[in-house]
Amino acid sequence: MGPHDSSISAAAGSTSSSSSACSTSTKPPQPPDQMDHLLAGAGYKVRSNDLHQVAERLQRLETVMVKSSPVEISELVNDAVHYNPTDLASWVDSLLTELNTNPPLSVPVPTDLSDPNAFPANINMYANHAPQVHGEFSQQVVAPFEEDVSIQLVHVLMTCAEAVQRGDLSLAGLLIDDLQALLGRVNSGCGIGKVGSFFVDALSRRIVNSPENAVHADLSAYENEILYHHYYEACPYLKFAHFTANQAILEAFDGQDCVHVIDFNLMQGLQWPALIQALALRPGGPPLLRLTGIGPPSPDGRDSLREIGLKLAELARSVNVRFAFRGVAASRLDDVKPWMLQVSPKEAIAVNSIMQLHRLLGPNSSRGPPIDLVLDWIRDLNPRILMVVEQESNHNQPEFLDRFTEALYYYSTMFDSLDVCTAQPEKALAELYIQREICNVVCCEGPVRVERHEPLVRWRDRLINAGFAPLHLGSNAFKQARMLLTLFSAEGYSVEENEGCLTLGWHSRPLIAASAWQAIPKPSTTIGPINHP
Amino acid sequence: MVLIHENEDQVFHNDDDDDNDNGRFCINDNLDLLIEVLQRVDGRSLGSAACVCRQWCSIVRNDSLWEHLCFRHVSPPPVGVRPVVSALGGYRRLYMVCVRPVLSRLKRRRIGGGGGESEVVRRVWNQHEVELSLSLFCVEYYERLLVGGGRGAAAAGDSPASSLKFLCKPVNV
Repeated sequence: MGPHDSSISAAAGSTSSSSSACSTSTKPPQPPDQMDHLLAGAGYKVRSNDLHQVAERLQRLETVMVKSSPVEISELVNDAVHYNPTDLASWVDSLLTELNTNPPLSVPVPTDLSDPNAFPANINMYANHAPQVHGEFSQQVVAPFEEDVSIQLVHVLMTCAEAVQRGDLSLAGLLIDDLQALLGRVNSGCGIGKVGSFFVDALSRRIVNSPENAVHADLSAYENEILYHHYYEACPYLKFAHFTANQAILEAFDGQDCVHVIDFNLMQGLQWPALIQALALRPGGPPLLRLTGIGPPSPDGRDSLREIGLKLAELARSVNVRFAFRGVAASRLDDVKPWMLQVSPKEAIAVNSIMQLHRLLGPNSSRGPPIDLVLDWIRDLNPRILMVVEQESNHNQPEFLDRFTEALYYYSTMFDSLDVCTAQPEKALAELYIQREICNVVCCEGPVRVERHEPLVRWRDRLINAGFAPLHLGSNAFKQARMLLTLFSAEGYSVEENEGCLTLGWHSRPLIAASAWQAIPKPSTTIGPINHP
Repeated sequence: MVLIHENEDQVFHNDDDDDNDNGRFCINDNLDLLIEVLQRVDGRSLGSAACVCRQWCSIVRNDSLWEHLCFRHVSPPPVGVRPVVSALGGYRRLYMVCVRPVLSRLKRRRIGGGGGESEVVRRVWNQHEVELSLSLFCVEYYERLLVGGGRGAAAAGDSPASSLKFLCKPVNV
């Protein structure tokens, strides 16, 4: 433990923040004069011992750009001569000089407040992405000491993940101890401290348990539903998903008298009351609505699917909508066979998948890739609309370190957005729900890893290849989503339209994407040779 | 805000009144007038009116007054909504649980500062806002069903189920 302690404390004392230097025989220490290898991976050349100054200058640049007038900025664009941005330190200095600020100080800027809420801005800088200047972010300057610790935290997390990827579990274990120490020095109630603690926890689980056998305190379906419900209430992502999906389904069902909705994950059926009510009020009267809810089988003899169905039926009866419910219990979506859904040819079908399709991207079963099987039978049903809502992130990359980095960035943004929720216990349980996702992404491998999120562009390709055509979500869905967000008590959410799909994000980072699809009917195939007697 | 004269001893000289009450006008004898007046006041005044006396309370509890309040300024007025809203708990509940917080939240977002309750009423809503409020109301009804077993629609008290708590929290701008 000795070499590690000295390297961390040395880093804390000096202005260099390169705490990824570790002196063991398996990895040569990274000399401070060398380019930081993490940023080099992103295309930026910065010396490790310049990192701290560059970080502080970037923050000052952000402050200055926010305060300066548009005229000055446009002058900057047109007239100034810039350094190549790959040489990050000089580039930042040149911009600062152009904007007529004071020459960069060699000592850290004294701060008046150290706000832990600014930590995620640091994460955004260091997590392998180009440093974007977010004008709308807070302009608070973080105390250099705490900034140091959060930068170190991220660096050590990355180093530990890299060690795990290489299989060097002993080093990873030592780094976990360092991480615990670092966490002790950071405010773990919010910001990087909180997200960091979840990731440290996940990494330590992965080191202890073999990833293929990772089973972490498996919750009963009932407890899972409770967490889901609180996640629904604490932040708008699920509400956005439900309302957007309902609007698209409503428009697809226009003029139809018999409609059938297939829900890939019924949970407590929170999506459907709004659809039932909208159908009740549609001009021309409500259609006959059938709902087929798919969900995991309930272990203790309770037929939870049927209970939800009964409640939905009661609601439908109150508003005079003819309603029929059917529950299909299946632990995996690819166990569902189309005949279980009992689809009738004269009804209009809508398939609704809220964050379920990514679970099918796991290793192939004996029958082929599960996602292709499922998309195939969905296409056979010929639905008028297939509604797909997925997390907008790439947590399915083959390399562990890439996944880890992407997840760190994604979930710290999500926790940022959750920070503004004040309702307890909703917030705590929502965090627990997200933590389970994090654990699955980080700790598990193979068939146990089900949270295989992929971004919208990849889903688009996949669905188009599977024979679906995109449907544009109309302006009604967009307006409704925007209105829903104004009701939430935070200004940071943003809804964007992206080639007919809607994404909801926090401060221009999309976190969840909703898209609608229509099946292209398969060309009719000739049956094999007919045997004549 | 229209002031209600709660003082029942208000005297009008009304020669047409053939009451044998020495020609004094009492609003409680002209309930249709009272209802006309109450149809034009805002939510807060309606609530105050309910506290005046038992008779006024029973009048104010009539859901059609609250229907007027909810959709008075909707353009165009929604059709066919009444049976749905009645089934989900009534217009008074709709106002308390959804309409009032939604309007004040949207209003505050528009002008970035608190207007009084009366200003909230004069705002015209559009179709989308009405639909959203109704959907939220329906989700709230359903949550009470989930929690309360069979007593969903008749749940006591006006506190909303958890999914609408976010509307009650002060805006954290």
